[in-house]
Amino acid sequence: MAKEKGFTKKNFLKGIVVENPLFVSILGTCPALATTKTVEAALGMGLLFTVVLICSSVLVSLLRKLISEEIRTPAYIVIIATFVTIVKMMTSAFLPELYSTLGVFISLIVVNCIVLGRAEAYASKNTVFDSFIDALGMGVGYTLAIILMAFFRELIGTGAFSFGKIFTFIPAFKLQIIPVGYEISLFQNPAGAFIVFAIILAVIAFINNRKNELKTNLERQAKIKKQQEAKLKAEQEKAKQVAEGETK
Amino acid sequence: MSQGAYIAIGVIVIVALLAIFIISFILYRRTPVPKGCEDIKISEENCSSCGHTECQFYKKKDAEE
Amino acid sequence: MQIFISFILAIISSMLIDNVVLSRFYGICPFLGVSKKVKSSLGMGIAVVFVILLATVICWPLYNYVLVPAGIAFLDTVVYILVIASLVQLVGLFIKKYSPSLYKSLGIYLPLITTNCAVLGVAQGNTDQGLSFLDSLANGLGTSIGFLLIIVTFSCIRTRLDSANTPKAFKGLPIALVTAAIMAIALMGLQGLFSGIKL
Repeated sequence: MAKEKGFTKKNFLKGIVVENPLFVSILGTCPALATTKTVEAALGMGLLFTVVLICSSVLVSLLRKLISEEIRTPAYIVIIATFVTIVKMMTSAFLPELYSTLGVFISLIVVNCIVLGRAEAYASKNTVFDSFIDALGMGVGYTLAIILMAFFRELIGTGAFSFGKIFTFIPAFKLQIIPVGYEISLFQNPAGAFIVFAIILAVIAFINNRKNELKTNLERQAKIKKQQEAKLKAEQEKAKQVAEGETK
Repeated sequence: MSQGAYIAIGVIVIVALLAIFIISFILYRRTPVPKGCEDIKISEENCSSCGHTECQFYKKKDAEE
Repeated sequence: MQIFISFILAIISSMLIDNVVLSRFYGICPFLGVSKKVKSSLGMGIAVVFVILLATVICWPLYNYVLVPAGIAFLDTVVYILVIASLVQLVGLFIKKYSPSLYKSLGIYLPLITTNCAVLGVAQGNTDQGLSFLDSLANGLGTSIGFLLIIVTFSCIRTRLDSANTPKAFKGLPIALVTAAIMAIALMGLQGLFSGIKL
């Protein structure tokens, strides 16, 4: 299969912008709403998610010729569940704070639609390297998306960014941005998560609507211009014919 | 019972679960759709965006791409 | 009597106060995806109730009497997802073969339940918190009924939303999410309902 130049870059970037799993495909919404109270927790969740996604994509892609069509889904579920168990044990050993913060949501990566979806739709049909790049792009895109949500929720909900509580190997510090007493603690509650997600989706829809409007406007203008030109041409020809007739 | 026996039971249970899952999965796919239900479709109208890969709607969308 | 009261209270608290969708965030995908029509959301909700109850009844003994004695409790996630997935397939098989009328209303939603966070979340949460069998059952029952309640209510609101005059950018999913946020605020009012009751 011949690949165009810059295919790898495009393959990586599509997961971040054009096919962002959270904001465009609306997949994996459960952890996106539940683990975005603080930027740190969101970063941890995104990290674990990316690791599972990359590992399962690579393994599925490696085994794509061995797994028969009939038992594809069961095989993928077992592969993903195994990697989730490994990641879970690693987290509880090395980052116990992250483990206790995320709780049951580490196990729930198994049923995250993105992982199974990428395994079925991409890794089962493409080479190992391509699947790796695709999984990396999707993972980074998802991580950035939930960090964006956590950014707004923590900023408005607590008025400050605090680090070092979950990743204990960095020194703890707190960055107060909104003065104490002016924060809206609703954004730390479940309701705030829904509102932030709704507003981000609405902004994306607004931008898309604008783009479409501009596109249709440009097309319409081009059409009108073409029609006018055609009209002008026809008139000129008519005048020419009339002139020719007179000379005869 | 000794620890070894418990571990053996655990392994047997997991393997049995795996076997049940695969067999039931294959059986489910091979069972024909009952009469009068062939034309059930998930449309954009009553369902969207959960992206489950076993879903007919998702498969259709995937094929279109 | 004491047990009965605590059973009922546990059901109500996991159904309303700590609602599965609006405060624990399990099962957002079907909540947003399959809630455009009341009929389809009812089908999905009933299928979820059935599978969660069966999964709770099977997973709890499996963990406490097989995995823990064998010392392989760390394999719980793998076992649970296997149990849930095979349950879904078996129930689907049964319905497909013996009950065409049930298949007509539930059949297309059954395969989707495997990747519903609520089922795995309940099974995992029960054993992670070390609940007793009765408490797990109450948790499963309350969670699943709460899911059914919320998804049906939400779909009722959504059918009305379609004819409402919302801003163009908010059409569809964003306004549905705002609705969910308002429902979450309403349920927040129930917090601490049982804090005065001591058992």
